[in-house]
Amino acid sequence: MGSSTSHLSKELLTEYQELTFLTKQEILLAHKRFSDLLPQESRNMEDSLRVRVSTEQILTLPELKANPFRERICRVFSTAPERDSLSFEDFLDLFSVFSDAATPEIKSHYAFRIFDFDDDGTLNKEDLKQLVNCLTGEGQDTQLSTTEMKQLIENILEESDIDRDGTINLSEFQHVISRSPDFTSSFKIVL
Amino acid sequence: MEAGGGSGEGPSLSALLSKLPSSATVRYRGPGVHPWGEPEPPLEKSRKESWSQRQTAPVASPVEPPESQALRELPWPIEAKQLLWRLQAQRPTKPEPGIRGSKGALLLGRAWARLVGVPKMLVPWRTILTKIGSQYGAGTESYFGLLRFLLGLNILGVLFQGILTLLPLLLLGSIPGPPSPGVTKPCGSYDPVPQGLVDYATHLTNLLSGEGHLEWSPLFYGFYPVQLTGSTFQLPIAYLLSTFLSGFLCLLLILRRSVSGLKQTLLIESGVLTSYSHRVFSAWDFGLQGSGPVELRKRAIRYELQVELEEASMRKLAEARTRAQWAGLWVTRILLNLLVLALLAAAFYGVYWATDPDKNLQEDPVVQATPLLKLLIAYLPSIFISTANLILPPVFSLITSLEGYTRSRQVQLILLRTVVLRLASLVVLLVSLWNQITCEGKPEAEACAACGYDYNILPCWETRVGQEMYKLLLFDLLTCLAVPLLIQFPRKLLGSMCGGRLGRLVETMEFQVPDEVLGLVYGQTLVWVGGFYCPLLALLNTVKLLLTFYLKRFTLFAFCSPASRTFRASTANFFFPLVLLLGLAISAVPVLYGIFVIPPSKLCGPFQGQPDIWAAIPNAIQGLSQGAQDFLFFLGTLSFAVPLMLVSSVLMVYTLTLATSYGRLVSKLKGHLKMESESKVLLAQRIVELSGEERDL
Repeated sequence: MGSSTSHLSKELLTEYQELTFLTKQEILLAHKRFSDLLPQESRNMEDSLRVRVSTEQILTLPELKANPFRERICRVFSTAPERDSLSFEDFLDLFSVFSDAATPEIKSHYAFRIFDFDDDGTLNKEDLKQLVNCLTGEGQDTQLSTTEMKQLIENILEESDIDRDGTINLSEFQHVISRSPDFTSSFKIVL
Repeated sequence: MEAGGGSGEGPSLSALLSKLPSSATVRYRGPGVHPWGEPEPPLEKSRKESWSQRQTAPVASPVEPPESQALRELPWPIEAKQLLWRLQAQRPTKPEPGIRGSKGALLLGRAWARLVGVPKMLVPWRTILTKIGSQYGAGTESYFGLLRFLLGLNILGVLFQGILTLLPLLLLGSIPGPPSPGVTKPCGSYDPVPQGLVDYATHLTNLLSGEGHLEWSPLFYGFYPVQLTGSTFQLPIAYLLSTFLSGFLCLLLILRRSVSGLKQTLLIESGVLTSYSHRVFSAWDFGLQGSGPVELRKRAIRYELQVELEEASMRKLAEARTRAQWAGLWVTRILLNLLVLALLAAAFYGVYWATDPDKNLQEDPVVQATPLLKLLIAYLPSIFISTANLILPPVFSLITSLEGYTRSRQVQLILLRTVVLRLASLVVLLVSLWNQITCEGKPEAEACAACGYDYNILPCWETRVGQEMYKLLLFDLLTCLAVPLLIQFPRKLLGSMCGGRLGRLVETMEFQVPDEVLGLVYGQTLVWVGGFYCPLLALLNTVKLLLTFYLKRFTLFAFCSPASRTFRASTANFFFPLVLLLGLAISAVPVLYGIFVIPPSKLCGPFQGQPDIWAAIPNAIQGLSQGAQDFLFFLGTLSFAVPLMLVSSVLMVYTLTLATSYGRLVSKLKGHLKMESESKVLLAQRIVELSGEERDL
């Protein structure tokens, strides 16, 4: 258990710096936070890069604990077959996309994936309804009434659905987001 | 997702549409599938197996992105990017022609990127600001960001003033002594320093009103001499230059800050048309932590959405208003506007009266005897201005809510009226001072005929102006300290004592971002106006801003609950620098007027004995070489100004035309996109129908 086992190698660090939007300090901090979630026996260098952490563990992080989209975020960034655990590289990917330096295009791409609750590649009325319910709260008394919800979803589709096929695809979503000045500053999680 | 087909076993419309290339980029993150859109492997194979298979098979070579796109900008998982990276590293790189491909340029680029990262680390309070933003929202964070920006501006101002005027005075010349008392000259006598013993109470009042020993100190204009004994350093030129340079630098920095906000605001072609989508898609602030702020934000979002839907239905109702209703509404609006104007006029008259133009109150023997009353009279303008700024904005919000506008229009109107109140009350104070100095603008009046200014009451008028600004600043700081102590803390205490709904109503206080920002802008305008006459005012403001930061942070976390209404960060980032620019523009007017028009005092200051303050510059230019003189004089003539104006107008017209044509192009392209998509959907429907018919046959 020497100190060398807890440091990422220089080549790996440079590679991560090239492939993500994170700085060296942020990558090291992410590695430390990830290792804290691992069981004691896997906290050395090789295992920390190989072992996956289950979604329940990831959701104990204070940055994600109260987020209404936390399960969607974990599902979108997971590369496991059952989409239920994150490796260290998935973890890095997550914080790279949510970092300050990420481009608006990549942020809007991943926002689309997060909002696509049924993973079919488009935002249909059900997706939008679930999205609004996530935003306003889960309880009965905190949701919008059915008429309000119907009106809201119709308005959204009226504004964003350019080809009038009843769903919002990625390019329409990115077109709407590009004209929203608050999006980049709100789509940010800092460790 | 395969929804049921139209007639039996044919592909459904949605299944067909999801196979098109336009939705391909979204599908890749399935288990073991490549980001470049190849079909998914059968699920029973493990992930590692399928990866190794792909790596050995030469068929699965990644579709490469265009050369210019950095690898990190691809929406792929890191493993896929690593694959591509290693492939690119293996391939011999083509040497790019020219300087760009050389190794030196690459190293330079990397060093530059590292250098640019350094200032970001030097910026203070980053963690505090992110913590505030995560709990109280982006609007409150932008207030503290603006405070930090103003702190930087003030420190810059202090540096300029210090290096150009104060340091030379202290290091090179000898400290100038006060003018000898009792000596009368053609323009009256000036005795700033009190003779004999001064009691403690008078000391305190002198400290607070800038008189007595403080009047003859580097704090005010009058202290600085015309020439530094034993040195050739031109103090008057340096004095003028420091003001102009710091003002110009402030202008550049504020413009830079507002342009970045403008770029984003201009992207919204017409914000009304996409308000719902924006409100839903960019509503959630992912940086929020903790269940308390999150619940509040959810409530705020629901409130906003409901309000927006309600406003839409109200707008529909409003369109159905009859003529009689419209007439009634407009009459109400005109009356309420008249009321607002009357309130503003009353406030301005109060401020004007408080500056005591006829000196009735000051000469009163009772007042002269008690130093406390004297201090009160001296501070009367500040008291009036601060009271008006405290009372009138809530009255404005009440009045605006009666005018029948939509919520967003109401907020804009309230902001506009409060800005007018704050900045115009300052203007009224300056106008009343100007009346006193120049005998109401009549140079031939009896008191002003001899020296161009009223030398009886104001032997050193610049110091007097500086003192007024100093008093205003001090009183602003006092109000800032008093409000939490006298208003917020008792409210919190009272609210926690009486329980129930009333107690909660009293207890909940929110951080009113627009009001606080206007307070900051007002303070900064004071410093800009008074900076010429009271050179160390920027230093005082730096201390004041530091105190304000820690005080506001304390009251925020101790007393305030998170905002129930979200304040958009984009409006904050664009609107607040704009109001700051307005403050700068307004402050430039009195300073420039004082420099160019009003004759400087003959008894004090670095410009004694000159016809006007600006005259120091042409005199200094005479000392330069002939070539430099000619060039500098040429800059002031019409033959330079007129072509410059012509060229700028031509550039402006060109940029405007370019912008309009791009806007037209965008709408045309949007129309094309719509048509193409409609054709695509039509064709897909036709395919579904035909394949359905085929199967039926």
